[in-house]
Amino acid sequence: MVNYYIVIIVELYEKVMNRRRFTKNILIAGALGLTSYPIFKWVSINKNVSPDAFRPYANLIDELAETIIPRTDTPGAKDAKVGSFITKMLVSCTDNRTQNIFLQGLNDLEEYAHDKYNHSFLECSKTERLATLEHFEQKSTYRFNVLNKIENKFIGLPFILNLKRLTVQGYCTSQVGVTKGMAYELIPVHFQACIPLTPGQKSWATK
Amino acid sequence: MNIIGNAKKEVSYDAIVVGSGISGGWAAMELCKKGLKTLVLERGRNVEHIKDYPTAMLSPWEFEFGLSLTTKEIQQSPIQSQLTNAGNQHFFVNDTEHPYIQDKPFNWLRGYQVGGRSLTWGRQCYRWSDLDFEANLKDGTAIDWPIRYKDIEPWYSYVEKFIGVSGSHEGLAQLPDGSFLPPMELNCIENHLADSLRKTPDRLLTIARVANLSQVWDSRGPCQNRNLCTRGCPFGGYFSSNSSTIPAAFKTGNLTLRPFSIVSEVIYDEHTQKAKGVRVIDQQTKETFEYFAKIVFINASTINTAGLLLNSKSNRFPNGLGNDSGELGHNLMDHHSSAGAWGAHPGFQDMYYKGRRPCGFLIPRFRNLHQDKNSGFSRGYNLQGHGERAEWPDRIDSKGFGNDFKTKITTPGPWTVWMAGWGECLPYHENKITLHSDKKDSWGLPVIAVDFSFKENENKMMEDIKKTSGEMLEAAGFKDINIFNYSHPGGTTVHEMGTARMGRDPKTSVLNGNNQIHDVKNVFVTDGSCMTSSACQNPSLTYMALTARACDYAVSELKKNNI
Repeated sequence: MVNYYIVIIVELYEKVMNRRRFTKNILIAGALGLTSYPIFKWVSINKNVSPDAFRPYANLIDELAETIIPRTDTPGAKDAKVGSFITKMLVSCTDNRTQNIFLQGLNDLEEYAHDKYNHSFLECSKTERLATLEHFEQKSTYRFNVLNKIENKFIGLPFILNLKRLTVQGYCTSQVGVTKGMAYELIPVHFQACIPLTPGQKSWATK
Repeated sequence: MNIIGNAKKEVSYDAIVVGSGISGGWAAMELCKKGLKTLVLERGRNVEHIKDYPTAMLSPWEFEFGLSLTTKEIQQSPIQSQLTNAGNQHFFVNDTEHPYIQDKPFNWLRGYQVGGRSLTWGRQCYRWSDLDFEANLKDGTAIDWPIRYKDIEPWYSYVEKFIGVSGSHEGLAQLPDGSFLPPMELNCIENHLADSLRKTPDRLLTIARVANLSQVWDSRGPCQNRNLCTRGCPFGGYFSSNSSTIPAAFKTGNLTLRPFSIVSEVIYDEHTQKAKGVRVIDQQTKETFEYFAKIVFINASTINTAGLLLNSKSNRFPNGLGNDSGELGHNLMDHHSSAGAWGAHPGFQDMYYKGRRPCGFLIPRFRNLHQDKNSGFSRGYNLQGHGERAEWPDRIDSKGFGNDFKTKITTPGPWTVWMAGWGECLPYHENKITLHSDKKDSWGLPVIAVDFSFKENENKMMEDIKKTSGEMLEAAGFKDINIFNYSHPGGTTVHEMGTARMGRDPKTSVLNGNNQIHDVKNVFVTDGSCMTSSACQNPSLTYMALTARACDYAVSELKKNNI
């Protein structure tokens, strides 16, 4: 039990320090008047975001979604036009804070790809793309769910987790996702309570 | 004028019904069938069965944002949006247009349209028993109910036979069987949990008893297992005022329905000592009208009914119509349904289901059935839940990306069961609604303030629900069990009741045993406000039965010239 608390405290400490460092960087950059310091790190997390702000990232969002849900023997995220769904959701169904976190996440991700692979995410191989997303997921998730809940509530859902949720929602409510990626019946008529799984059984797209 | 039906220009009727929701619809049908020219006043727009269900046949991809609401919609309706989605939000009010004051957090869900919340109700139909009707008397809480099970029993049957309730006979004293259509079926994991529960005395798991039709009934249905009920059902697969009582009332030729009609007060006649009619504000034009009738049924829903009566002031009733006792607006109750348990089961991996059954299961009340047991709280709860295999909404936060992740979200995951306790809330005098002294709504009517909280007995019960439901899952071999208490504020179960309670004594109650205002004999109140205690059963069936019973009494009294 003691160890459990120590791990929680250490994780929280690391997170707080990261944020402090981040805030400090902004302050330093501000004091030095560094106009080259990325603009997204300047702004308040609750600042208004123009609906056009996501447009330059359209390709990147398409490719991120396809990396999460690729085309296999069934359609993938691009076939389901998940990228435009994500942008639409961000603009109309999320608050400023979530929009800012998302934009910042896209830039962090690009920065990471450049640092690690010397090119943008769009130029990354499939393996590099997966490794990049996995890196961000690992970085954004605490080992203890209670900490994830605290972060989500007080700071906001981390970029990578929101990207994943929006991708899944977009795919799983799209026509190709619902009808080809999963199983769907508009009017089931009967309820069959207990039936054997069929080979290659997809899950129902609606509950 | 938005008048539908015969006698368009009349201002006098035999009966006026305020509200067209689940109990108002019943009052309208019963009074019309008994030959009374009846005017139904509904504050919202008309909703015609099938024609006005715009989302009913839409597939997921036909919504712009899935089923998500936009930030603008959430800002406009911060309360309703917590329990609605893009498929059914048009059947709930805009919170900004219809403000209320929360003295303590209280979610007031409202459906201002013809049919009210009967379009979006949970459709669960459970009878009360004398365990419930006698509870107040036995443990000395509040006041005694003026009726017993035998008084309402034939009316339960009468209502069930008309609306169509599917369910299973279990022979339980605390949850009497009704007139049921064939039951819906339990799935593998629910049957497994049912088998496990049989080992414990007093406990069993049965399929929910719901007003979803398992066969054609009253030329409606059957249910098509779409589980999209709250959008309105084009097949008439479940009971609503719109699909059932209102069309039946129209068929008699006696119904006049006036949408967009906000009743601002009941007009009391000091000479006859009866109500002579009601005053109405047109929701759109804000013109005022008066309508007159021999009898008035108030079915505006618990909180608005109390608000309307409080606003109906006269020399005889300076504190609101029928409020000699001072209890009008008090004793507000709502079931709590926040505490429960969730778990996943490793078995039955090769089994699935087909179709979307529009209900779950019920574990009927098992606490405090016998006097000798001491649970640490009074009254009881039932557990409602459902079993299913994890699908994409449940696996959206799974780790990983790419092919494996895609497989995870598009194939069935482990079987899971979610269940929560629907618990009785005691009637506390201090849980109440009042009219604000100077804040007014767009129609110049005083804004309603709600002051409600759950208290020690409810909190103790929620602790027991958490513990007990977790133990049930554990005993049935579930893993990853998560016990929870969402701690939702009052109102969230949408079972608000009790603001104009029935009783034997005019000094301590608003209504008598026939739902008549004690000293205004031609005014009947038969929505949730009439409830003297809450039991733990979903209440709509009881409201309908009490309404049919009161209509029968009212018409017989009218014929005898007693009112």
